[in-house]
Amino acid sequence: MSEIKETSPNTLMAFGVIGGLLGIYLTYILPLAGNAAGGPVKGLLTTIAPAAGALGGICAIVWGAEAVRRVAKYGLGTGVPSIGQIAMGMGIIAAMFGLSIVGQLTLAGPIVALLTASVIGLIIGWFAQNVIKMKIPVMIRCMTEIAAAGSLVIIGFSAAAAGSFEFGSLITLVFDNGIILGVFWIGAMAMLHPFNACLGPDEKQKRLLYLAFSTGAITMAVTGIAGIMTLGNAGIFTLLVGVVIWLIFYKKFWDEVYKDAASVLGTGLIPKTEA
Amino acid sequence: MVVLDPTTLINVLLIAISGTLVCIAVHFIPVGGAPAAMAQATGIGTGTVELAAGSGLVGLITASAMYAIPSVQADPNAMALVLAAGAMGSMIMLASTMLAGSLVYAYGVGVPFASAQVKKDPITGARQDLYMSKGTQGQGLPTVCFVSGIIGAALGGIGGALIYFVLVKIYATSALIGGSAAAVAGVFTMGVFYVNAVVPSYGVGGTIEGFHDPKFSRVIPKYALTSFVVSALCGILAILIGGGLI
Amino acid sequence: MVLDLTMSMAILAFMGALATIAGCLEDLESDVGSQSNPNSQVQLAPQMNFLHRIYNKAISGEPISNGLSAVIGGIVTTVMLNAKFFPLTAIVLGAFVAAIIYGIFATTSYAGRVASQSRFKQPLYMDIMRYTTPSIIAHNFIVCLCLVALAYIQSQILVPAHPFSIPFLALIWGISVGAIGSSVGDVHYGAEREFQNREFGCGLNTALSGRIVRRAESGLRNSIDNVWFCAKYGGPVTGIALGLTVFLSSWPTTVFGYTWIAIGVGVAIVLVMVILNRLLEINVKNAYGPYKEEKNEKEAAA
Repeated sequence: MSEIKETSPNTLMAFGVIGGLLGIYLTYILPLAGNAAGGPVKGLLTTIAPAAGALGGICAIVWGAEAVRRVAKYGLGTGVPSIGQIAMGMGIIAAMFGLSIVGQLTLAGPIVALLTASVIGLIIGWFAQNVIKMKIPVMIRCMTEIAAAGSLVIIGFSAAAAGSFEFGSLITLVFDNGIILGVFWIGAMAMLHPFNACLGPDEKQKRLLYLAFSTGAITMAVTGIAGIMTLGNAGIFTLLVGVVIWLIFYKKFWDEVYKDAASVLGTGLIPKTEA
Repeated sequence: MVVLDPTTLINVLLIAISGTLVCIAVHFIPVGGAPAAMAQATGIGTGTVELAAGSGLVGLITASAMYAIPSVQADPNAMALVLAAGAMGSMIMLASTMLAGSLVYAYGVGVPFASAQVKKDPITGARQDLYMSKGTQGQGLPTVCFVSGIIGAALGGIGGALIYFVLVKIYATSALIGGSAAAVAGVFTMGVFYVNAVVPSYGVGGTIEGFHDPKFSRVIPKYALTSFVVSALCGILAILIGGGLI
Repeated sequence: MVLDLTMSMAILAFMGALATIAGCLEDLESDVGSQSNPNSQVQLAPQMNFLHRIYNKAISGEPISNGLSAVIGGIVTTVMLNAKFFPLTAIVLGAFVAAIIYGIFATTSYAGRVASQSRFKQPLYMDIMRYTTPSIIAHNFIVCLCLVALAYIQSQILVPAHPFSIPFLALIWGISVGAIGSSVGDVHYGAEREFQNREFGCGLNTALSGRIVRRAESGLRNSIDNVWFCAKYGGPVTGIALGLTVFLSSWPTTVFGYTWIAIGVGVAIVLVMVILNRLLEINVKNAYGPYKEEKNEKEAAA
């Protein structure tokens, strides 16, 4: 696999952290900028602000999918999906803690959550490596990355559904009606599905990343549907952007499939093999 | 901020214990993973995490329904009743699943039940090795596996219910969460539950037959330790969520 | 709404019926797309030079994928209910959106898995993709409809109402239906249908892994043929398991109130199931007999 040029893990990590945080903070900054500008600009900016959080979530999903790929390649003995579950389990704990503990300092929330998630991931990774002795060299690093990505996914999509990442408004807009469960579960699927769906000896990173964008866009679309209830027009905007991104990357994924598959047949008998 | 008083410490300890219970429960449930789905290994033909989660979360449904009753909330001994409700829901789910699974092994696949790890069933004393077909690691669910699974489900149900019970009480008095205590505690319980169900599944590595499996005593101590530390950390975070806002 | 015992029991029975349908259809859906543990054989087959025309729906384990569709259904239903749709319309629309998204995930996993097996020359059959995916969506639609209806009943109609929201309950039932489906019905697909050319009850040798049956009663076998077979036994048994779970986990508290008596009754039910399993074990061992009788006699003689 080494002969094919791959995007390096560090690049994707930077993409996930910076893109994720940027998107999340834009949900906060855009309405402020709108208030300053006033007039029609204000309405426009408040409508598109939540979608930025979801875009940040997609960046985090792509990063997480790559981290899942690196660790799951070693064979975990229990299937790929479990790693997505633990990612979101750690992510949601850290996200809830980070956002609530900062109290009035709302802006610090996502950073605290990211750091908390990294610490939880580090501890679980350390235990997996040194107490449980799983003998996977990338375990500690990947567990940390996956947990951190999980917390950004939770915060990003929650912010997209609630319009802000202040814990008090998340409680009423996301927890009470159960949207957080959707973010939790669809986010986990979006992160684990790309590697799980591309599993095999001829798995390629490019195809996987396109699929990660597409599953992330599905999460964004569902968050948009939920946002119609909580935010009105902003939810419709998130939904539309999500569908457009999904269309683009679903198409790109299929292009890669046509290129990579042994043969794509309309129909036909099973080809003869040597055996 | 939270003052470090005995109640807080006990709550953290309870969450750590419940996480450990979930971890131990996973080892009790007889799962055979993909080989069992082909009747090539003893146990239920699915993965560790999801079966533990499936039964534990049904327990969470029954436990939270129990706790929602006003008379139960007023009862000072509510804890035992809520935990028992969790264990009951979880056991019923796993018992129905294993019974139906046995029906498929018996009449859909046509294999007698046999454990590969013991020569005689420790509970019924029935011979196992003769019924094991060639090239497999046993098949179906002999009585010892069934009973082990029930114990595991009970522990998982108690573990999930205990996290929920501790958190919902803390959050109900929190200024910010207040009326949404059930929703927030439920989500947090699910997070802790999954972390504690996935970690031990790496040691189980796909198949375990239950408490009579040599793997059981070999892997449990280090996983219980891991779960205890991780859950205690989660417990501290959980309590800070409720208390940090006052 | 005030419910007396008769009405509560009627609703509980209805919930049990919904769960039975959901369980049955869930298992059939996992067979039509070939998912979860038995799919490991479909995945392995090309490597053993057994190229095939079976769908490879590796969305993830069944609990996760069904949790996905149920939680999407729950969220869309909540949104619709909030917009003052009739409950039934809301649930149907929710299930529809969820099933479509589920179908999208299914297509990516079939395409992705086959493309990642190109060195074994496994072709990607587009006709399989075209007529199996709608069947997956249809099965999943009914599963999701039943589960979201179950969650709706629990959180809105039952007295006392359940404290969790509709998406939360739907997610938990989705995880449970998947866990049950992959534990019960999949065995019928994995251990019997995929290796139907072997003698019934022979006990599959591990060496047979990946050597799945590829020819059907007529022509080449595809996933639709598999669901035809599993609908006769594996699916209904799965339905019974989930129906029992939903019905029996609520029945004691509905009849005996939220007291210790109800807990005792629940434990008694579990004990009855342990005994039933033991009787089944004895019955099967007597009916089929041991595999290794001769070897044992030699040992005894020695």
